[in-house]
Amino acid sequence: MEKEILEHGLNFNRRRFLSTMSLGLGSVALGSLMIPGLLNGGDREDTGFTPGIPHFAPKAKRVIYLFQNGAPSQLETFDYKPKLCEMYGMDLPPSVRGEQRLTGMTANQASFPLAASFTNFKQYGKSGTWISDIMPYTSKIVDDICVVRSMYTEAINHDPALTFLQTGSQQGNRPSMGSWLSYGLGNENKNLPDFTVLLSRGIGNGQGVYSKLWSNGFLDSIHQGVQFSKGEDPVLYINDPAGMARKERRDMLDQLAQLNQMSYEEFGDPEITAKVKQYEMAYRMQTAVPEVMDLSKESDDIVKLYGPDCLVPGTFAANCLLARKLSENGVRFVQLYHQGWDQHGNLPFEIKSQAKDVDQASAALVTDLKQRGLLDETLVIWGGEFGRTSYSQGKLTPENYGRDHHPRCFSIWMAGGGIKPGMVYGETDELGYNIIKNPVHVHDFQATVLHTLGLNHEKLIFKHLGRRYRLTDISGKVVRDILS
Amino acid sequence: MNKKWRGVFEQFVLTSTVFLVFLLAFEDQLVVPVWLQSVGRLHPLLLHFPIVLLAFLMIYEFFRFSQANHSAKEIVEKWVSDLWILGAALTGLTTIFGLILSKESGYSGETIFLHKWMAVSLFLVFSLIYWLRNLSFYQSLSARISIAVVSLLLLSTGHYGAELTHGNGYLLAPLQQNEQIYLEDALVFEHMVKPILVKKCISCHNPDKKKGELDMSDVQNLLKGGKNGKLFEVGKPELSLLLERIHLPLQDEKHMPEAGQPQLTAEEDQILSLWIKSNASFTKKVVDFPASDSIRIIGNKMFSSIQQEGQNHDFSAADSETIDQLTNEYRTITPIAKNSPALRVNIYNKNDFNSKKIEELTAIKEQMVFLSLAKLPVKDSDLQLIAQFENLERLDLNFTNISAKGLSVLKTLNRLKSLSLSGTQVNFTDIQAVLPVFKKLQAVYLWDTPLTQDDIKHLSAKFKNIQVIGGFKDDGSNPLKLNPPELKNTSTIFNLDAPLTLFHTIKGVEIRYTMDGSAPDSLKSPVFDGKVRVSANTRIRARAFKTGWIGSDEAVFEYYKCAIQPDSVTVVLPLNRVHQANGPKSFFDRNLGSFNANSPAWANFWTGVRNNDMELNLDFKTPKTISIVSLRIMEELSTGIFPPQSIEIWGKTISGGAFKRIHVLKIPVPKETRTHELYAIDVKFKPALFKEMKIIAKPLEKIPQWHGAKDKRALLLVDEIFLN
Repeated sequence: MEKEILEHGLNFNRRRFLSTMSLGLGSVALGSLMIPGLLNGGDREDTGFTPGIPHFAPKAKRVIYLFQNGAPSQLETFDYKPKLCEMYGMDLPPSVRGEQRLTGMTANQASFPLAASFTNFKQYGKSGTWISDIMPYTSKIVDDICVVRSMYTEAINHDPALTFLQTGSQQGNRPSMGSWLSYGLGNENKNLPDFTVLLSRGIGNGQGVYSKLWSNGFLDSIHQGVQFSKGEDPVLYINDPAGMARKERRDMLDQLAQLNQMSYEEFGDPEITAKVKQYEMAYRMQTAVPEVMDLSKESDDIVKLYGPDCLVPGTFAANCLLARKLSENGVRFVQLYHQGWDQHGNLPFEIKSQAKDVDQASAALVTDLKQRGLLDETLVIWGGEFGRTSYSQGKLTPENYGRDHHPRCFSIWMAGGGIKPGMVYGETDELGYNIIKNPVHVHDFQATVLHTLGLNHEKLIFKHLGRRYRLTDISGKVVRDILS
Repeated sequence: MNKKWRGVFEQFVLTSTVFLVFLLAFEDQLVVPVWLQSVGRLHPLLLHFPIVLLAFLMIYEFFRFSQANHSAKEIVEKWVSDLWILGAALTGLTTIFGLILSKESGYSGETIFLHKWMAVSLFLVFSLIYWLRNLSFYQSLSARISIAVVSLLLLSTGHYGAELTHGNGYLLAPLQQNEQIYLEDALVFEHMVKPILVKKCISCHNPDKKKGELDMSDVQNLLKGGKNGKLFEVGKPELSLLLERIHLPLQDEKHMPEAGQPQLTAEEDQILSLWIKSNASFTKKVVDFPASDSIRIIGNKMFSSIQQEGQNHDFSAADSETIDQLTNEYRTITPIAKNSPALRVNIYNKNDFNSKKIEELTAIKEQMVFLSLAKLPVKDSDLQLIAQFENLERLDLNFTNISAKGLSVLKTLNRLKSLSLSGTQVNFTDIQAVLPVFKKLQAVYLWDTPLTQDDIKHLSAKFKNIQVIGGFKDDGSNPLKLNPPELKNTSTIFNLDAPLTLFHTIKGVEIRYTMDGSAPDSLKSPVFDGKVRVSANTRIRARAFKTGWIGSDEAVFEYYKCAIQPDSVTVVLPLNRVHQANGPKSFFDRNLGSFNANSPAWANFWTGVRNNDMELNLDFKTPKTISIVSLRIMEELSTGIFPPQSIEIWGKTISGGAFKRIHVLKIPVPKETRTHELYAIDVKFKPALFKEMKIIAKPLEKIPQWHGAKDKRALLLVDEIFLN
């Protein structure tokens, strides 16, 4: 009997619980009708995202990112500050510096003498954009580019800043921008990777570039950046070993694919299919890569356009030419890094040489894409990871000075696919220290880049370890003012 | 409620009726004293009470005759009766207040008319039922009729009242699907300015409620202005009444919109101001303004472009199975965006290409808007196939074999906007003849074709709507400097002799060189022909020349002979911690170091000592005759890298026993600073037989007085040793 009573009690409670709950649940359900995505968690279907297809029709289909690694000084390139001449050698007013943290390299400096640019600036083009004399070729394409003078970042050292720009996080292990695009847009040419990386360095003070920057993070490894190096084997281990015929390779791959298929059926690990795809891609790359990497057929005009260095493998100019070729062949994201922009000292000499390395070829790339009708659909980005201080690091002399890291403002330019040409966006104060108009955070920049490619940065999501990740993390606004 | 109170309310209702009828009869002559205006303004507050009461009573009335009799019914009935008269009284009061309020300026028109008469009817009907509802004929049916009439009146009165305060169409606005406006169609007034007026102004300034005698609901009245005159001064926002009122401080009585109403956002304010400044046109399109204009920039933000949305494609989507079948590794087909029927097609790999690859695409001929055939052997005959792809917007024929004449078949492509013909053999006459065929064409790309820059200019002038891009063609006005020649050898160190392998990456370059140390020039120095061999230590100086280019800087290559290799090398005294290079192997690995401290060739190839001698033992399996030992060093005086002060050579002819000193070379200390250099120091002596050799190179102990680091020990760097 006792048992029955207990059971009845339990049943009663259960029933009561359920009926009460149903009312509660009902009201929650009703409420949820007004909050879309609350209960279904905004999964892929709900974000409307299908990997490989943009959210809306994009202007740009591909990106070439000319990364100037080490952080070029905005004050000697794109951000003209005549006031610094007037205030030459005077101390940076503490009110301007505010609470800005400094690096260990200048924090203990007794004074912060303002350093004017050693080089002059002039206005160019219909847009009247101010460009420094060390960029004579870039000054000729100002009407094709949009200079953003109001970029800012959160990091103050190279590696975190670089990682932040590329992956949206200062710590590593997140997918790089190129990997996100590969994930979001899929491939255009199935014979080449979606995301390739090219390195070069100038004689200036250099900073490291590590493969974590083109990592696929938690995305499938098929989205990883592939480094193309100079020399006879641009892509390592892609050629058949000596003595192996192409047919044998084909047979081997077919057998291997069968084995892999079996183990996929057993374990269901998506990495297995990714691997198979990579083997197949590598096989096709065996014919596609040599063709793309062959610069011998480029015309004299092209060589003159990019400058004579463009045929010397491993130079920035050669990488620009290669970037054009890869992009033309449907590579979604070509990432260049040019090292040597870290001018803590000896700035006038080093930056001149750095600029000489990149100026002609960067401008040439824009012109070359334009004359092929590809600039409309290719977004070209030029810029570093942060800016440099308007005061001198170390001793300020008329001939020589240095500049320390400065996250509060820096200049970049963008051209082509969906970006308004011939404009300058944003403004810094007279001393080039703080932004006074239209600040663009790194996440805003990333959101804008994704937007030009038809991707909504808030919907380009990957769920990993229980969290939804975006390139722009939890912020970022598209800078619509610079969109065409 | 006792009888007394009920009587009071009944009296009040009757009085109100009379009062209302009186007021309505003499409405035209009504003048409301100022103190009463405030009373009138209580109307929007008061009205909520009768609404609730009346609604409640209607529900009761609905069930009144279907209920069984029970003990409490009488009490309830009494309560209801009390509430009824209270409701009637409140309705009357509200109506009177409302009538007073309506006499304030700004109310006229149909809505207020309807609101007023509905309210009065409601009051009268509801009051009448109070007296009727307890009579015997009043049964279920009459009750229901009453409910219907009262409810209808209540709802319509309330609805028209709400329209008065919130503006016409307020209730259903969220349900009305707004038609998507694209940037290309958007009008500045209609789609940017008017929505602000509708949202923030019209609820008070409409034909029904002309506050300040101002009606902003249509263009004519907007231009007319209100009692204080014209709203705006065309082209002068700063003088315009409209903006003046908006910019007054919120506390100011004349500030608009009134305090408590939704205010204009900064952007809305900006739009109004820019619109007036741009001459307040009612017909201009957003896209009529140049891209840099502020109105255009805001417009760009507000409206999405047709092109961007990709929604101007009205054809149906292709079958996904067809797309899958047509897709292969050399032909990619992708929708331009999610939910778009339009497709992008790229074809690659000229070895795999034939006309069939285009022909197969007829299955999706309607959907294709983009086709790239760049660098494929496309012929004029293939253009016939392409002519069927009626919706093409972009066609990329760069570096194909088509001719301009052949392009005329593409006249069927009515939507073609961009045509890329760079790298083709199109000629001026034919392209000029064919361009008018494309009505919608916006851009044509003609770089790297037989067309001259003048031809391009001519075309640009002739076809104003088409952007004719000629691209970069070198006209020789801005010659560039060639880069220096390079050397193919991996190493310039050889046993007996080695080929001279100068080369240049640019085709057609002439390399001139010297082997005697003199400077090469473009006239007299020998032209490199690839047949020269070097058989002794030689400094090669070479420059590159080509017409149309400035001659290159000089490249210098040092060839070194090293006929004899030791079989093992031992470092006797330690090398600097940071100048270890490859240890003992570094000296004979045939890798030369360079100056650039950033390059791997620096750290990997330079061995160095500072605080002790560089002492090496070399072993030979079979004894070797040697007469020259050369140490290649770096000299960079400014950074304290000096040549050694002396080099000693010791030897043994057989294993075991003691070393015998063969030769000592003293090296003069530099007397002043000089440009940095890499060179070999030769230690020459009478040929001797070596089973073992000891080399002792002593770094400079005291940097000379003229140097900034005087008296300190100098650094000695050696990358390679040659034995001959």
